[in-house]
Amino acid sequence: MVELKNVNVHYSSGVDALQDINLRINDGEFVFIVGGSGAGKSTLVKLLMREITPTTGRVFVNGKNLAKLKGNQVAKFRRSIGMVFQDFRLIQELNVYENVAFVLRIADQSTRFIKQRVPYVLNLVDLAHKARSKPKELSGGEQQRVAIARALANDPGLIIADEPTGNIDPRLSYEIVELLRDINRSAGTTIIMVTHEHDLVKHFGGRIINIDSGSITFDDIIGGSDEDE
Amino acid sequence: MRTSNVTYLVKKGISSVWKNFLMSFASFSILMVSLLLVSCAMLLMMNVSKIMSNIEDTNEITIYLEENVTDQQVEHIKSVLEKNDDLTDVQYYSKEQALEDFRNDMAEYSELLDYLDENPMPESFLVRVKDLSKIRSVVNTINQIDGVEQTKAPYDFASVLIHIRNTFSLIGGAVLIALIVVSIVIVSNTIRTSVFARRNEINIMRYVGATSGFIKTPFFVEGMFIGIIAGAAAWGLTWLVYDSVFSLFSTDLTLWQMFGFYGLMPFEDIMWLVLAVNCVAGALLGAVGTVISTGKHIKV
Repeated sequence: MVELKNVNVHYSSGVDALQDINLRINDGEFVFIVGGSGAGKSTLVKLLMREITPTTGRVFVNGKNLAKLKGNQVAKFRRSIGMVFQDFRLIQELNVYENVAFVLRIADQSTRFIKQRVPYVLNLVDLAHKARSKPKELSGGEQQRVAIARALANDPGLIIADEPTGNIDPRLSYEIVELLRDINRSAGTTIIMVTHEHDLVKHFGGRIINIDSGSITFDDIIGGSDEDE
Repeated sequence: MRTSNVTYLVKKGISSVWKNFLMSFASFSILMVSLLLVSCAMLLMMNVSKIMSNIEDTNEITIYLEENVTDQQVEHIKSVLEKNDDLTDVQYYSKEQALEDFRNDMAEYSELLDYLDENPMPESFLVRVKDLSKIRSVVNTINQIDGVEQTKAPYDFASVLIHIRNTFSLIGGAVLIALIVVSIVIVSNTIRTSVFARRNEINIMRYVGATSGFIKTPFFVEGMFIGIIAGAAAWGLTWLVYDSVFSLFSTDLTLWQMFGFYGLMPFEDIMWLVLAVNCVAGALLGAVGTVISTGKHIKV
């Protein structure tokens, strides 16, 4: 469960990035966080991955107050969530298999476990056949699927996808969201997807949280057009 | 951490040496030269110390006793000298022994001594000073003992030797410190380049939950690996340099022996010590350079 209580983030530059945010996301939910450029979405993601702490207020993920995590506890926390970024953030020198295996090594998993787990998650994103390819040999959509496989590797209870469709072909964007929804439905993984693509959100529907100028202006469930089809 | 993951990090560190070849090579070269100079300085100091101890071993003070000294006074002086921690090898020479020695030393003129009515040689003690630098204070103490007429000590020789040793230590120390600083700066820069080349990877590692230790270990391996290889190479070069100097000094040593020099220590006697010192020093320099660089440029 993700919970933000009276969260304010004030940057030293004078910008109030988030103001009085109160938010609760239950286990197993799929939530879209939408908003324009500079609305505060990135700040929210930074809070959730404990890159920053709130100026005031508290952020809880799975019952942990993130501001209280110190040193290697932060690293341990990050291993318990999966992150997907707009720019994929894959290591170019490593192949697809190694990019996924990498996070399992960080989590100090055995070589035997890694050899079983990596093909399994690559299969989930339908990229088992590209295991030996380097990221630059893949399309944007494929690279993002590798990033999703990497996020799934440690079997996290929460995946935060920060503009995962921002750098890929619009047609493939739907496939990526569909993949995330499949993961949400089949494994019960909580998914928070941050995006500015309203068409995508309207298409899939679900719980939508709109942020504008650092405040939540809308938080409700809407029906998606895909349900109408 | 599991052995397989430690192996992974070590491999990653070593492979980074090749990926970052130019900077690694620059670091290796500077470290090698530094360690070569360090080991040469170390060998020089070891040999100088050996020569010093040879000289100190033969360094004697002669203590002449007063003409009418009694047996009790001689016993007293002997016990005072033996109790003095700065002295060693206390030997008593009676008037008869002294005359006999003189007679043996001057064999050609020994007949002249038969014309003497009485033995003119004084009773004496021969002692050795453990530490040359204390010779003056030791002699002053001895001169105050009742029954001591005068002492003869090689002050000038001692002061020259002390001066040489101190100069060697001072120059050696200064060069060593300068080399250590330069080496650390160079290694630190190499690691900084490596950190810069892998900044994206480091960022990704942070986001997916790598601990500080996991991120920094490959850089440590890289720095220490360069240091150890440079240490081993410096050891090989030291061997070559030392062997050629050794052969120079193993021909005719007559002149040198006058100064207490009986040849250099053979490299074979100290080769493993020099190798160990070089490799440990290389690894330490590599590690310190890495600590500085990763501490400054990697924030987890």
